Amino acid sequence: MRRDGSVGRLLTRAFGVLVLLIVCAGVAQMTTVLVQHRTVDQLSTHVQPLQLANAHLRGVLADAQRALRGYLITGDGQLLDSYHVARSAYPLAVQDARVLATGAERAAVDAQAARADAWWALAEQQRQAPPRSARAADFVVTGMPLFQEFLGANADLDESLAARAAALQRRSLALGRLTVAAVAVLTACAAGLAAITATRTTRRITGPLGRLVGVLDRMRGGDFAARAEEDDGPSEIRAVAAAVNTRADEADRIRAAEHDVARLHAEVRELGYRIRGHLVVEDAVREAVQGLAGTLRADHVLVRMAAGQTDVPPVTSLHDEHRYGPLAALAGCPSSWLKSGDVHLTDDPGSSAGVRPPEAERQAWAAVGNGSVLTVAVSGGDECLGALTLIRDDGSPWSPVEVRLAEVVAADLGRGVHHARLYEREQHLVARLQELDAAKTDFMSTVSHELRTPLTSIAGYLELLLDTDSGELGDARRRMLEVIARNTRRLRELIEDMLTLSKIESGAFRISKAEVEATALVENALAAVAPAAAKASVGLHTEADGPLPLQADPDQLDRVLMNLLSNAVKFTPPEGTVTVTARRDGDDHVVLAVADTGMGIPEAEQQALFTRFFRASNAIHQAIPGTGLGLAIVRTIVDNHGGTIEVRSTEKVGTTVTVRLPVQ
Amino acid sequence: MTVVLVADDDADIRDLVAFKLEQAGLDVVAVEDGQAALEQARIRQPTLAVLDVSMPGLSGIDVCRMLRADPATAGMLIIMLTARVQEQDVEGGFSAGADDYVTKPFSPRELVSRIQALLSRTRA
Repeated sequence: MRRDGSVGRLLTRAFGVLVLLIVCAGVAQMTTVLVQHRTVDQLSTHVQPLQLANAHLRGVLADAQRALRGYLITGDGQLLDSYHVARSAYPLAVQDARVLATGAERAAVDAQAARADAWWALAEQQRQAPPRSARAADFVVTGMPLFQEFLGANADLDESLAARAAALQRRSLALGRLTVAAVAVLTACAAGLAAITATRTTRRITGPLGRLVGVLDRMRGGDFAARAEEDDGPSEIRAVAAAVNTRADEADRIRAAEHDVARLHAEVRELGYRIRGHLVVEDAVREAVQGLAGTLRADHVLVRMAAGQTDVPPVTSLHDEHRYGPLAALAGCPSSWLKSGDVHLTDDPGSSAGVRPPEAERQAWAAVGNGSVLTVAVSGGDECLGALTLIRDDGSPWSPVEVRLAEVVAADLGRGVHHARLYEREQHLVARLQELDAAKTDFMSTVSHELRTPLTSIAGYLELLLDTDSGELGDARRRMLEVIARNTRRLRELIEDMLTLSKIESGAFRISKAEVEATALVENALAAVAPAAAKASVGLHTEADGPLPLQADPDQLDRVLMNLLSNAVKFTPPEGTVTVTARRDGDDHVVLAVADTGMGIPEAEQQALFTRFFRASNAIHQAIPGTGLGLAIVRTIVDNHGGTIEVRSTEKVGTTVTVRLPVQ
Repeated sequence: MTVVLVADDDADIRDLVAFKLEQAGLDVVAVEDGQAALEQARIRQPTLAVLDVSMPGLSGIDVCRMLRADPATAGMLIIMLTARVQEQDVEGGFSAGADDYVTKPFSPRELVSRIQALLSRTRA
C-alpha cells in the first residue's frame, strides 16, 4: 500500500482480500462437505451393500453346505429342502453382488462365484449320493477344500471391502481436519487483515486529520498565515487540506481587499480633513486634486466650477493639463449637466441613471483616451458647485468603493469650498468691522475731546462763580449754580464712562494680565471710597481671607471694584453698611462680593441692570446721580477676564454684587 | 514777579487760566497759538509755561520740544493741558519734556495748586 494512496482504495483492497478469504474458506468447506458426502454415499450405496451381499452370499452357501452335510449325515429330507432353498437363493445373491461390484471387486465376485459354482457342482453330486454312504463321506471330504476356497475368496473380498471402507473413512476424516485447519488459517488471516487495515486506516486518517483540525483551529484563532499540509495523508484528506488552503487564500485575498478599502477610507478621510482645513478656496481645490490622484490612482484629475461660482478658479487640473494638455477640450465643457449628488461612470452606464452627459462632453472624454471616466458632482448644500472628473489611462475600471470614495471627496471639496468661502467672506467682514470699530473709537475720541473743551470752560467758570463770596451771590443763585455744577459733573462722568466703555468694548483697552493680589486691590479701593463713605455715614467692612493672587489687569479690576463700591456707598442710606468679601472659590476662581444695605433694585428691573444708560427707577426717583454706564463697564471688564457677575437684590433691604474671576 | 506763559487757542479757557493765575499773584502772558508762545517765551523768559496740547499750527508738544531744545528756554517749567486721556498723549508730553500734565476738564483751583507746587519745588 502506498503511503499517499487513498483510504478508499486501501479499504477496497482490504475488503477484497477479506471477501476472497471468506470465499476460500467457504469453498474449502463446501469441497469437504461434498467429498465427505461422496464418501458416505460410496460407503452406504456401494461398499456396505456389497459387504452385505458378500455376507449374504457366504450365508447362502454356508446354509447350503451345512444343510447338505446334515442331509448326507442324517438323511433328513428337511435338510435337503433347506439345501434347495439355499440353492435357489444363490443365483439372486450372486446377481446382487455382481450388480454392486465394480472393477476389481467384480473379478473378486466372479472368482468367488467360480469357486461357489465349483462347489455347487460337487454339491449336486453329493446330493445325489445316498446319505450316510461312503460316497457321501468322500464327497464331504472332497467338497470341503472347495468350500474352504469359496470361503477364502469370500473373506478376501470382505477384507478388501472393509479396507476400502476404512480408507474412505480415513480420507474423509483427514479432509475434515484439513478443512478445519484451512478455515482456521483463513479466518485468522481475515481477522489479522481486518485488524491491520483498521489500524492503518485509523493511523493514516487520524494523524493528518488531527493536523488539519489543528490548522483549522489556528486559523480560527487568528493565525491567518496557517496552511494545511497538502501532501500529508491519504488523497481524501489532501483534497480537504487543499480545499481548506484555497479557502484560506481566498479569505486572505478578501482580507487584503478589505484592508485596502479601509486604508483608502482612512486616506480619503484624512484628505477630507485636509481639504476642509484650508481657508483659501484655491488651496482646498488643489489639495483635493492632488490627494485624489494619489489615493485613487487617477492619472487625470479635473475640477470644473459651475458658471457663476466666484472666488474659485474655474478649472483646476492635476498637471495643468486643462491649459494645453489632453484635458483642454474637457475643461471647455460646462458641467451644468450635473445636478447635486450626480455621479457618472463611462464603463457602467447603469450606475448613472438619469445623468445624461452632452455630446460635447462625451467627445471630450474620447479625446483624453480610452480610460474609464468618473465624473462626480461637487455640491455645497443643495447647490451643484461644479464637477470632479477622474480618468485612468490604463483602462482599469473604477470600483464601486472608489466611486463612493470619490463622492466622499467631492462632498468634502464642496464643504471645503463652502467653508473657505465663508471664511473669506468672514475675513472681509472682520476687516470691515475692524475698520468701522477703529472709526468709531476715533470718532468717540474726537467727540469726547471736542466735548471736553467746552466742558472745561463751563466747569472752570462755574468754579470761579462758586468761589466768589456768598454775600455777592445770594443763596438762591448759589443753589442754581450748584444744580448747574452737579449736571456739569454728570455730563463729564458720562463722557468719561462712554469713552471708557467704547475703549473696553473695542478692545483698545486690551487687558494686560499680571499677577494681582485681590485683597490688596480691595484695600486700595476701600481706602479710595472711605472719604465718600464717611461723608454719607456708611460703614465699610471687609472680609478678605488670606492672599488671593490671580492673573488680571490691575487697572481694570480696580475700576470694577471702584464702580461697585461707589455704587454701594451711593445707594446706601446713612447708618447702613457696605461689606466687601474677597475669597477663593475652589482652586480656580476668586470671588469678590460687594454687599450693601441700600435701597435695592426692583426685581423687575434687575435683568436690565447691565444695559447701557439703564438706571433703576428708585434711583431716578430719589435723584441719585449716575450715568447708567458703570455696571455696563463692570460687566464688560468681567467678561473680558472670562469671569461672571451676578446681582442679588431685594428692594429696601440691600444688594449684593458677586464677581467670580478665574485665577489664570 | 514770576512770569507764567499761557498758550491755548480757546479764548475762554485762556482767559479762565489767566484770571486764576493773576488772582494767585502771578504775571501772566497769554497767547493763542504755538508760534506766539515760542516768541513770548524768548522775549519774556517766563519761569513756567502752561501749554494746550491741541493747538492749530504748532501743537503744545511741538512747542515744548522746541523750548527744551533752545538753551535759553531749556530750564523752563512746563505743564501740558490735554483733552485726551490716551496714554500716547501723556507719554508724548512727558517725552517732549513736560514736567506735569492736567487733563481737561480740569478744576482751575487744582491747576493753580499744581503750578504753585512746581514753582515752590524749583525755588527750594
